Amino acid sequence: MYWEKEFETLERNKLESLQLERLKKTVNQAVQAPFYKELYRRKGISVDRLTHVEAIRELPFTTKQDLREHFPYGFLSLPKQEIIRLHSSSGTTGNPTVIFHNRHDISSWANLMARSLYCAGVRDTDVFQNICGYGLFTGGLGFQYGIERLGCLSIPAGAGNSLRQIKLMQDYGTTAIHAIPSYLGRLYEVFQAEGLDPRKDTNLRLFVIGAEPHTEEQRQRIEEMFGVKAYNSFGLSEMNGPGVAFECTEQAGLHVWEDAFFIEILDPETLEPVPDGEFGELVMTTLDREAMPLIRYRTRDLTRIIPGACACGRTHARLDRITGRSDDMFIVKGCNVFPMQIEGVLLKIPEVGSDYLITLERINGVDEMIVEVEVKKDWFNGDITRLDRLSKFITHQIRDEVLAKPIVRLVEPGSIPKSEGKAVRVMDKRVFDSVKI
Amino acid sequence: MAYQVSIFLENKTGHFERVTGVLKNNGINIRSMTLTHTVSGWGILNLLVDRPEKANQALQENGLSSALRKILAFGMEDHPGGLDDILLKLAHAGVNFLNAYGRVLEDGKRALLIVDVDDYELALEQVSKIDLFPLNDEMVYGN
Repeated sequence: MYWEKEFETLERNKLESLQLERLKKTVNQAVQAPFYKELYRRKGISVDRLTHVEAIRELPFTTKQDLREHFPYGFLSLPKQEIIRLHSSSGTTGNPTVIFHNRHDISSWANLMARSLYCAGVRDTDVFQNICGYGLFTGGLGFQYGIERLGCLSIPAGAGNSLRQIKLMQDYGTTAIHAIPSYLGRLYEVFQAEGLDPRKDTNLRLFVIGAEPHTEEQRQRIEEMFGVKAYNSFGLSEMNGPGVAFECTEQAGLHVWEDAFFIEILDPETLEPVPDGEFGELVMTTLDREAMPLIRYRTRDLTRIIPGACACGRTHARLDRITGRSDDMFIVKGCNVFPMQIEGVLLKIPEVGSDYLITLERINGVDEMIVEVEVKKDWFNGDITRLDRLSKFITHQIRDEVLAKPIVRLVEPGSIPKSEGKAVRVMDKRVFDSVKI
Repeated sequence: MAYQVSIFLENKTGHFERVTGVLKNNGINIRSMTLTHTVSGWGILNLLVDRPEKANQALQENGLSSALRKILAFGMEDHPGGLDDILLKLAHAGVNFLNAYGRVLEDGKRALLIVDVDDYELALEQVSKIDLFPLNDEMVYGN
């Protein structure tokens, strides 16, 4: 039932003591890094003031901006030779967000991933196919290490190529899968086109879905299509990646591993804690990371803690689905995208104006990012092939920047609202669970 | 030298009419046209009109993406096989088209083939070698 019963079912008061002990250790470790050393010296902060976990509120926040400004090594709290891996965000405009790990961090992360998978019902008898990009993206290696730690037969399939994915499932009798939810609708279509029924022609029994927002209805549709149970996974690269919070077999919220992360839900405007059960911004502190501890990191994800105890017996708090962001980032095809990245790409292309409109839409069960840009009047010469080449060029440039392939639509000049004031740059027409405030 | 007016258009209801509305208000007469579209939701309207400079200016003043584009026009006979005769010559000369359309000048007697090419200067050189000469603007769309 539990991967680590002693941690997962730890009484709340004991869990808090453990958190306090680990928080002190984390702060002591963090001030080895230039960023925190300077920040805490300037603000006169000392670990002695941490007499209870709530005292964390006296510590300053860490933002994505801080990570970028102190790229690449400003947050490193260990000598470089002790680091064994980095994961990094995409992006060629501005500095990427990079996270470093030592041996302990990789091992701790693998353990959290194994615990997460076990809690969703994955066992060492499973054949686990990870349909997720490997490389700098954390969903590949993050899951891989967890699957191996748990003891499943792992198939590091990588993303895409649906026919090959199906062949792997059939050849090795895959029972469990991790994929982004918007891909699974497409995969099902390929099953159908091949005259196959995943319910009869595979051994699939369990899916882990995450890395992009989806509704309860979408989950249920996936469960019906494939005849499986599907569990929600939540993570962010700044907090390792996957393995931060996971649904147990109750499917009633995502247990966030509080022995490894201290969580706060704050009003994004006032930055004060919201009452229990109310929505706010998730702020997280690593409690078991050595190479690069992060303290009070503003995730910008909006969620809430589901009140009450879970029937599974785990004492760790449950997060609700992420209902939105307190900044303008959006997620499409499993990739985090900031509108500024698209703007940065367009600014470098003299043939088009810098005004743009992004529409997120579900087309044939797949989430698409449609980017509309205006062709400059004085560049237009009536040549259709030149326009077509331009359209393809923009598509590739955006894809290189954000990793998700957009649908680029060239539009007439003047048809996009000008960027003065607060023009709407992103229209999300996908349907997600509404915020239940 | 003859020109067509090329206009970038989104494939949306009413956008074509916006163009013809401007031409109507400026007393421009259309001699011939083609409308192409791409899968990406936009296309190009090519117009052969009596006064291309005036049309282009009016369209631009009304906020449209419009451009004058050099074309090659050849006379042909308006009877079965007339187009094939001229295409055979152009094929031998090595001319490749981006777009082509026609216009009847005198029913049953004379017609025009209008050709849009990738490299205008190269095409001119190619046709001159087979003693084929493009028609001037007056002959292509003049009154």
